[in-house]
Amino acid sequence: MLLLPQALVDGLLIGGIYITIAIGFSLAYGVMHIIDFAVGEWIMLGAFLGLYLSQWTQVEPLLLLPVVFVVFAVLGYLFQPVIHRVLSGKKGNPLLMALVFTFGLAIAFKGLGLTVFGFFSRSIPSAMAADSFTFVRGDFFVTIPVIRLIGLAYAIAVTLALSWILKRTDFGLAVQALAQNKEAAGLMGISAKRTNSWVYGIYVGISAMSGVLIGCMFSISAQMGGKYTVFSFFVVVLAGMGFLAGVPWAAFLLGMVQSFFLIYFDPGYTLLAVFIILYAVLLISPKGLFGKGV
Amino acid sequence: MTVLKLVSVSAGYGETQVLWNIDLEVEKGCIVALLGANGAGKTTTLKTVCGLLPATQGRLYYNGVDITGRPVHETVNLGITLVPEGRQLFGKMTVEENLIIGSFLKRAKEHRARNLAWVYELFPPLGIRRNQIAETLSGGEQQMVAIGRGLMQNPDLIMFDEPSLGLAPLLVQEMFRVIGELHRRGLTVFLVEQNVHHSLKIADYGYVIENGRIVHQGEGKQLAADPTIRQAYLGI
Repeated sequence: MLLLPQALVDGLLIGGIYITIAIGFSLAYGVMHIIDFAVGEWIMLGAFLGLYLSQWTQVEPLLLLPVVFVVFAVLGYLFQPVIHRVLSGKKGNPLLMALVFTFGLAIAFKGLGLTVFGFFSRSIPSAMAADSFTFVRGDFFVTIPVIRLIGLAYAIAVTLALSWILKRTDFGLAVQALAQNKEAAGLMGISAKRTNSWVYGIYVGISAMSGVLIGCMFSISAQMGGKYTVFSFFVVVLAGMGFLAGVPWAAFLLGMVQSFFLIYFDPGYTLLAVFIILYAVLLISPKGLFGKGV
Repeated sequence: MTVLKLVSVSAGYGETQVLWNIDLEVEKGCIVALLGANGAGKTTTLKTVCGLLPATQGRLYYNGVDITGRPVHETVNLGITLVPEGRQLFGKMTVEENLIIGSFLKRAKEHRARNLAWVYELFPPLGIRRNQIAETLSGGEQQMVAIGRGLMQNPDLIMFDEPSLGLAPLLVQEMFRVIGELHRRGLTVFLVEQNVHHSLKIADYGYVIENGRIVHQGEGKQLAADPTIRQAYLGI
């Protein structure tokens, strides 16, 4: 009972990380209907760019987040036409081809990472990593590492920014229009190619930024991608494929499950619990927690 | 002046050819109707004009400019608007959002406020329901949104694909009244319809399409008086 506040707070903080790795993925799926298996690798590449940039410039890595975003948004924007080609192929099953293509991409990025960054784990040294707040009231106490709090704040900020863009800007309306009805969007003069490029750029940029943040909390390595791809996928499926507004709730749910398991049960079974929850939800509601997925 | 000109245009879906050497002209400021039965190639003609479907043969000219092979997001910027069959609204968005999306074109952006006011004036029910989710509207109101969205594009040539489809008789009359009103405002209208009776009443010129070929053409009144057409399409 004494650990309950800590479990709740940890759940929120872990949920924040889940949001950061899943929100871009959900956006990309919702608009382009692409399941990008390389999401974890974008996170990994972003993390390493953050690491090297901060070593080179001696600047606090968290301040480099915008730089990492811009670099990877441009990369994603330039790279999207390749995916567009695969997705709009005439032969075979383009969706399946895209799946295989991004899977191959993930392997290629991982190989690239292993060659360039080496095999060993690193961490990104952030000045914020050591500090933490501790609240004590009577017998209850909660410890919050500052860096985790920043992570949560970042997750919320990105979520709010994305939903603002989608609801309040012409570009956002165009993205939504494209997601809902591709042909009608074309009739409105919305170029699917260009809009998708922007969306992919934003998604890759957000994922890469999240990598830097993750690197400040945990260790990073060239092989870290797979794990994050799986978790990102979890959150997005639980939220409902492509249902952006469901992502934070799904992320917090998974975060809570994980933190409660870590504190009250055997930490070794955490992943199992996460799997079972996902399985149970999908069994009851195949379109995600809110029934609003695709 | 000829706004739209199709010269021997053929098109189809994959192996299936639907249109066979269509020749067709739409004069500026006129209402031109393309009439025919289900599956004759009416919708295919419109899709080919606006670039949703590539012409496999022949050329398309818009205001004298060759637009053959241009993708849809480019042709709409020239002022060609299609109000598609089945409305094709963005169902999860509000009425006003649907209308706003219509004005994303470069040619329409600066006229957004003016056109929005005009659409609400033309269709008063939309003004009342501007914040309602589009897919919850009735069929007639959805058709109003579809037309309104097309008008937000500030078109020179507006093409309607079966605007009366699935509407109650009173609403059908309302749709034709609106089309007449657009015509009076100087828009060029290219109308595809199964409702031959109403269409020929307002059309300056008409084409009849059968199995992907133009089989009759003439002025609206003249076609309406043509015995073969009366027999085949008007059931008289």
